[in-house]
This record gives sequence, structure tokens and C-alpha cells, in this order.
Amino acid sequence: MTKTTVQAAPGAQRPPNGGSRRIVTPRTRIGRRVPGTGLISTASTLGLLLLAGLVWQLGSIAQWWSVATLPPFTQVRSELLRLLGTGEFWDDTGRTGMEIVLSLVAGTLLGLLAGILFWKMPIVGRILEPYLVSFYAVPLVLFYPVMIVITGITPWSVIILATVMAAIPMALNTWVGLATLRPVYLKLARSLGCTRRQTMLQVALPGAAPYIVAGLRLAAGYALIGAIAMEFTTASAGLGFRIRYLYESFETPTMFAYVLAVLGLSFLLTLLLALAEKRMLKGRNER
Amino acid sequence: MGQPGIKISDLAVRFDTPAGDTVTAVEGINHEIEAHKFVSIVGPSGCGKSTLLNVVAGLQRPTSGSVEIEGAPVTGPNRRIGLVFQEDSTLPWKTVEENVAFGMHIQSVPKEQQRRRTREMIDLVGLNGFQKVHPPMLSGGMRQRVALARTLAQQPSVLLMDEPFAALDQQTRLLLGAELRRIWRQTKQTVLFVTHDLSEAILMSQQVWVMSYRPGRIIDVVDVDLPDERDTSVVSTHEFNELQNRIWASLQQEAMRGFVAEATAS
Repeated sequence: MTKTTVQAAPGAQRPPNGGSRRIVTPRTRIGRRVPGTGLISTASTLGLLLLAGLVWQLGSIAQWWSVATLPPFTQVRSELLRLLGTGEFWDDTGRTGMEIVLSLVAGTLLGLLAGILFWKMPIVGRILEPYLVSFYAVPLVLFYPVMIVITGITPWSVIILATVMAAIPMALNTWVGLATLRPVYLKLARSLGCTRRQTMLQVALPGAAPYIVAGLRLAAGYALIGAIAMEFTTASAGLGFRIRYLYESFETPTMFAYVLAVLGLSFLLTLLLALAEKRMLKGRNER
Repeated sequence: MGQPGIKISDLAVRFDTPAGDTVTAVEGINHEIEAHKFVSIVGPSGCGKSTLLNVVAGLQRPTSGSVEIEGAPVTGPNRRIGLVFQEDSTLPWKTVEENVAFGMHIQSVPKEQQRRRTREMIDLVGLNGFQKVHPPMLSGGMRQRVALARTLAQQPSVLLMDEPFAALDQQTRLLLGAELRRIWRQTKQTVLFVTHDLSEAILMSQQVWVMSYRPGRIIDVVDVDLPDERDTSVVSTHEFNELQNRIWASLQQEAMRGFVAEATAS
């Protein structure tokens, strides 16, 4: 549907110490949406999916690749339909879903608070910013041995790591959003005699909302990646664990059915976030 | 002299620059505005007009001296003081209606009263029909009307305006200026209006204060003896020209001094 631009913030909206490139700028929409755009994007999405499925199916039948590597779509689909009737599938999905939701909620809150702290105390922000930015580049999953030592092979190792991964983009985006707030908003708040709480809740955070929402989108992506990747390496249940397990026991069609399930989960997450975003930025994109 | 509106006594504002110098922004301001009067301040850029306004608004503490509003000293932001900014200060995430009510909302005005005053103010500034619209849909002039309505809805006794029309185009400026005068004649707030536009100052006010370049002092006070009921046609009258010439005479030198100082500083 709509795209989030992942690019360096424009010059005027650089973060306070100018460095980070991993900031998502809020969405800007040039011109008003033409009626029917929704229809076109839905139709094109469906068309593309259909095309991908077709290529997949034909390719396997025509032996462009070994069926052992990627079985035909229809086989994976019937495998998925079978799985939907098993308790194990729902246990794994429930566990992964729970891990993602928990780490997304915790990571978002943590990141939001950290972003506010960096804004209120620029010194703290200045000290921590380089580490936060470089954390982006570090595959945090590498720390799984440490996590196992701390928590054992439990959902907690997954949740903690995914939380940290989600919190970082959220913190940076919240911070940039607050730091680039138009000064007149804060001046208005002062002149109206807003309390600190009112200034934060009614002026500063809503003013930074486009950045915060972009941060939320990134956080969701990172929570998902973190959870699945951690399950690959350390868990004893969950979609990620199941995929690795099935891969190792050569149950390829079932494995791909699980892969489809992960894709479905991420699609659902994106959809929910898009709805939340629409609500949070109501009226803003009418420009 | 009638009731006191704004009384500024021995005011001076100085601040230290990072280079270690002390800059005097304004100094020796000792002036009074009677209640319900409309006074404009003109001066070269960098003369401390905004600083003066911020101090009167209670947003900035003076280095020495004091400001009284209706006899009570100003110690901080205050609901008797309404401020209109040069920049667009409407909140894009709120509708026009919510924007107008925002000041009252912060100051916990009863809900029923908020609704009534919002209605009245939207009517007064001519924004009927735009209640549910978000500001990004509006033109700059209309957004400035929203900001004005928000300020008026707080029912301040003093209105401080910091070049409120400076960011607008000439026609919108003239129209909004006339609107503001019409509104003021209805509400009769004490107004302190900062501008750098001489004809705007004369057209709008009953008195014009001319400020010098840094340190900003008031070097001339000019009473505007034009009829209360005036429109833009007044600019072609002899009286208007006289006033403009007089103000420009006091201002010219200062503007030049400011120009040279800024040019050599950079």
C-alpha cells in the first residue's frame, strides 16, 4: 500500500549530533490520494502474489530446481492446511506470537522512555548515541550463549533479545522526533502555562508522532526478526525452532508451510501497525 | 490617563554570549500603555523587539526592571496575557475546533464554556465551516486566524503579537490586519503589536513606539491621530504620509546602524 521511506533525514532534521543514518523519516505524501488508489494497490498486490505462486508452482513442476529443495506450491499449501488442524502448529504460533507481542510492547515502551530521557538530558543522549547507532549493525543474536547462561532455554532469552532489538530504533526515532520539534510548539506550551506533564503529553509527543510511528514500524520488524532468529538458535518451541528442526530432518514441505506461516504473521503485524498508524496520524497526511 | 494596561519600568535585558561578551538587548524602557489601547513597536531587525515582548509575556526574565499588567507584576506566563506568534503555531494533529479550544483546555475552563467560546471565536475570525478541518489543509492566513482565535478564546486582557502577519503575503496581510482591527474594536484588549512594517504599524495602532538598534531603547513615541474607523484608503492621506515620514526619520538612522553592525559582525 503505502511506503515508508528509509533514508537519511533531510538536512534540517538531522539528529542532534548529526550522525545516525538509520533514522526513518516520517512519511510525507505529496499531493492528495487519488480515489481508487486503494483498489489499484489491492489488485496489484493480489496480482503479484498470484504471479509468484504461479512461478513457484511451474518452476517446481518443470524441475527448474529440485523438488527436494523447494516443493511445489500446492504441496506446501496442503501441508499448511493440514498443519492448521494440529495442536502443535498453534502452540508454536501462539508462543512466537506471544514473544513478538511482549517484546514489541516492552521494546516500544522502553524505547519511548529512553528517547524522552535522551531529549530531556542531552548529555546522556550524546554519550549513548554512538553505541545505540552501532548496535543496529550488530547481529544481537550473537549474544545467545550469554542469554542461555542468564535465562536458560526459555522464552525469556528470546523475549529479552527481541525487546532490546525493538527498543533501539524506537529510542532513536523518539529522540529525533522530540529534538526536531518546532520550537514554537514548546513556546506555545510555555505561554499557555502548560505543566511539564501537559507539555509532554499534549504537545511534545503528539508533535513527534510521525517519527514515533516510524520508529514503531521499525521496532515491529526488529522484534519479529529477533524472535524468529533467537528461536532458530536457542529455543525449544516456536515457529523459528520448528523451521530449523524440520529443515534438519528433511521435512521440506512442512518446513515451507511454517515459513508461509511466518510470512502470514508478519503480514498481519504490518496490517495492524498500518491501522494503528492511520489512527495516530489522523488528519496529518491531508496536506 | 485611564486604567493602566501594561506598565514597563526601567527594563533592561542583557545576556552573555558564548564569546564572553555581554550583549544588551533592551535597556531603559520606561513606558506605559493605557488599558484598551493598541500600540505598535517598530524597529530595525535585531533591535530586541521580540525580547521585549517575551519579557512582557513572562517568558523571559528581565535583567533589571519590571513589567506590570493591570497593576500586578508579571512573574511568569499568565492567563491574562495572550500571545500570538509569527510562526504558524497551530497544532496539526488537532482540528481547528480543538486548536481554538486548546488554551482553554490547558487552563481547565469548564467544558460548556469551552464549547460556547470556541463557537464564538470561530465565528469572530471567520472560520465557520472549517471546525472539523485539520490545519495542514488551511492556508497560512487561515492558520493564523486559528491561532488568533485560540488566543482570544482565553479572554486575555492583554494581547501581545510578535509580527503575526510577517510570514503572510501582502494581500492576506492587509485583509487580516483589517480583521484584527475590527476584532479589537469589538473586544478592546490592550494590544502590543510588534512589526517591522511602518504602514502596518500606523494603520493598526493608536500609538507607535520606535525602537533603536541594539541596545534597544524607545527613541520616539508617535501618536496616531487618524480616525478610529479607518480602512486601507487612509494610506493615501496627507496625515498618513506625515506620520510615516516622521517615523521613518527616527528609524532610518537606526536601521542603517543595525545594517552596518550586522554586516561587519558576519
